[in-house]
Amino acid sequence: ETVLRLSHNNPADHPTHISMEFMGKRLSDLTGGELSIQVFPNAELGNQRESMELVQNCALEMARSNASELEAFEPAYSAMNLPYIFKSEEHFNKVVSGEVGQKILNASADNGFLGVAFLTEGARSFYGNKPIHSPDDLKGVKVRVQPSPSAIRMVELLGGSPTPIDWGELYSALQQGVVDAAENNPTALTNARHGEVAKFFSLDEHTMIPSVVVISKCTWDGMTPDQQAAMRQAASEAQEFHRQNWNKTADAAIKQAETEMEVNVNTVEKAPFISAVQPMYAEVAAKSPLVAELISEIQAIAQ
Amino acid sequence: MALKRALDVFLATASGAILALVAGAVIWQVVTRYILGIPSTSTSEIARLLFMWLALLSGAYAFGQKRHLAIDFLPQTLTGRSRTAAEATILAIVAIFAGLVMVRGGSDLVLRTLMSGQITPTLGLPMGWIYAAIPVAGGAILFYCLWFARGLARGEDDGILPSSDSNTTG
Amino acid sequence: MGQASLLLFGSFALLMALGVPIAFAIGAAAALTFLLFMNFDQSMFIVAQQMASGLDSFTLLAIPFFILAGNIMNSGGMARRLVDFAQILASPLPGSLAHVNVIANMLFGSISGSAVAAAAAVGGVMAPIQKREGYDPAFAATVNITSCPTGLLIPPSNTFIVYSLITGGTSVGALFLAGYLPGILMGLGIMLVAGIVARRKNYAPAPRPTWTDARTATLNAILPLGLIVVIMGGIIGGVFTAAEASGIAVLYTLFVTLVWYREIGIRDLPKILVESAVTTSIVLMLIGASIAMSRVMAFGQIPQAIAEVMLGISDNPTVILLVITMVLLFVGTFMDMTPALLIFTPIFLPVVKQIGVDPVHFGVIMTFNLCIGICTPPVGSALFVGCSVGGVPITRVLRPILPFFAVMISTGLIVTFMPWLSLALPRYFLGY
Ligand code: NA
Ligand code: NA
Repeated sequence: ETVLRLSHNNPADHPTHISMEFMGKRLSDLTGGELSIQVFPNAELGNQRESMELVQNCALEMARSNASELEAFEPAYSAMNLPYIFKSEEHFNKVVSGEVGQKILNASADNGFLGVAFLTEGARSFYGNKPIHSPDDLKGVKVRVQPSPSAIRMVELLGGSPTPIDWGELYSALQQGVVDAAENNPTALTNARHGEVAKFFSLDEHTMIPSVVVISKCTWDGMTPDQQAAMRQAASEAQEFHRQNWNKTADAAIKQAETEMEVNVNTVEKAPFISAVQPMYAEVAAKSPLVAELISEIQAIAQ
Repeated sequence: MALKRALDVFLATASGAILALVAGAVIWQVVTRYILGIPSTSTSEIARLLFMWLALLSGAYAFGQKRHLAIDFLPQTLTGRSRTAAEATILAIVAIFAGLVMVRGGSDLVLRTLMSGQITPTLGLPMGWIYAAIPVAGGAILFYCLWFARGLARGEDDGILPSSDSNTTG
Repeated sequence: MGQASLLLFGSFALLMALGVPIAFAIGAAAALTFLLFMNFDQSMFIVAQQMASGLDSFTLLAIPFFILAGNIMNSGGMARRLVDFAQILASPLPGSLAHVNVIANMLFGSISGSAVAAAAAVGGVMAPIQKREGYDPAFAATVNITSCPTGLLIPPSNTFIVYSLITGGTSVGALFLAGYLPGILMGLGIMLVAGIVARRKNYAPAPRPTWTDARTATLNAILPLGLIVVIMGGIIGGVFTAAEASGIAVLYTLFVTLVWYREIGIRDLPKILVESAVTTSIVLMLIGASIAMSRVMAFGQIPQAIAEVMLGISDNPTVILLVITMVLLFVGTFMDMTPALLIFTPIFLPVVKQIGVDPVHFGVIMTFNLCIGICTPPVGSALFVGCSVGGVPITRVLRPILPFFAVMISTGLIVTFMPWLSLALPRYFLGY
């Protein structure tokens, strides 16, 4: 009979919303209706940072953020945001559904929240007013980045000029040339309509930054062991459900961008990108022993 | 009198200085990106964080100058004792809000955010210090409420409602 | 949720009627209502959080900067020159300064994409001059307030970008083109009413200027007009974003007044800065508090409840559109534009799609009706800014603003029931 409120900032027809609705339904089934999830889309209850603060202080039961924004709340997530830390989609899936993923989700227990699920958002790539084939093509290119040290450092190492621009101003900034490029997954072309103003999408696939569903520590501690097990089960099913849906969404986005918006999509030889960002590994590992440990564990899984 | 004067001067100076800093940060952001070709990655966050301090500190100052907007249809019809009673009630409500939400809720927010270790995304500053603007502004508003109430009780001050229909905002 | 609406709106109405400053009335009503959803400490915590964090947006920076630029222009003689010039252009019309205000808002709002920034910048310049020319300050403020939302319809417009995001990708390009005619129509409607009122009040057209006067005024206006060129050119040329343009406006006005005209000196700056900070803070505290109010409404599912009741009334397409218009106008009275757009778009869009309304057209309908709300009491950011920069108490504009609302609402209905007004341009230019 308890309703857990879950806040996120995507629209209600977004794949992550649908996956979290699925999670709520499974939770309700598994607990015989004892627990259910009410999903609030469009940042109605607050943006990602505000929602996290509410979760930490027991004013909100659950929220969905992403590994990049969560760095500000729990450094462990920075291991996942390293460019090319995941060798492939399979590698990513193995990490997030395995022990290392669980370790990251649990790392924030002292900070008032626990992660329960990683919802993939696919790989992020560069897009803008010209195709990017090698790091040389990024020389002097103003690339809009998310406000995060890792994103800034990555673009610097690749030779571009990292430029913070508000998400709401990005469409106009691309259109008018305030920035030359941005980086995101292919759905930015269609959902945010950036394909109307950025005609080249270069599949360098530098990062795989997943969404993370989190639950307040207060809520978690108030649940019975059976309910906790049901939550883990529902979360892991939702993670799998989401993974299957995501690829369809991303493929459809690429196709729509190519056909309806005349965006040119090109593949990229990744080796020079990978070697350019190598200095980041030591820099991020220096943050804390836990982060260093997570990085080597993630790398070990690829072997 | 000296106490209120000091607080006025402090808040006014801080507000003006912060506004100048925020403007400087945004102009510098354009200069670094367009003229120097090396975009500053920190100015946007600096501007946004200072902006919260600007809104709250000058908001407190504006309250001390009786400048906040109100709908004063009803109170304007009152005179004498009933008007003083209305003024006292308004001051009490603002004081309760400033005390409970801004000072108490705000301090709670500051302490918990400092404890949880949340940092700002780009500069990595403790987020708690950014939020400190709320209890600081709340404390100032609370002081002004008490000050106006004392004046009201002594008959030296006419409360915070505009005394005539002429001008609420200067 | 009935309980939540009752508590929220009841306490808010009571506090406002008592004369509690609006920002505190909104904040206190929100804090009280949060008690229904969480414990005491958490309620205090969340309202405090929203008062600061609700303002954490780079685009809001345009407000203080345009207010500051407006104050610098006023003190430094730029505003005077600009208005001398504007009077020459508009001199044959009754109430010429009011028309200048409307046109300036359409230009300015369209570039900056922010209605409130336009009201601050244009109103800050125009108010003192209209006062000097014997215009009723309440009339001047009213024209400024009601014409500033045109910039939300005339592109570029952040509102359309937000709408595109919520609807999962309605073309921003199509929305931008769709906004032109409705935005211009709204501006013309305001000018019509302003002209009628001005004629009644006998605000005579300015005397026909002599050729020499016209030449002097035009030459003097080159530098002030340069601001528009710099801002517009900078945004279109990709030098800076619309939000950053406000900072550049400060730089430009400082250069002209301090270095070129030398009508103000460095020693005048602290006073201008503090005054601008105060005007800014009055608006920002209101915005922060009304974001807290939107949050508690979302917790209480109040918007969904309103929509459900209203949409249950009929299944006739005309009635549905009328009901939606009424809900949007009603919601706009007490809710800020962005949260209202975020919450109501997903509720209404599926309904109107079923009755054959195009999503681009609906974006215009939503924006048009909600932007009327930013001019209405009790919660209206344009109303607040307009009254602040115009130096008029809110209570004084409530009566003169009514005929303007009438024309805005009628224009809105025309836009709603004549889809081609919105769709003609995107169809012609984009083949939409
Ligand atoms: Na615009
Ligand atoms: Na309103």
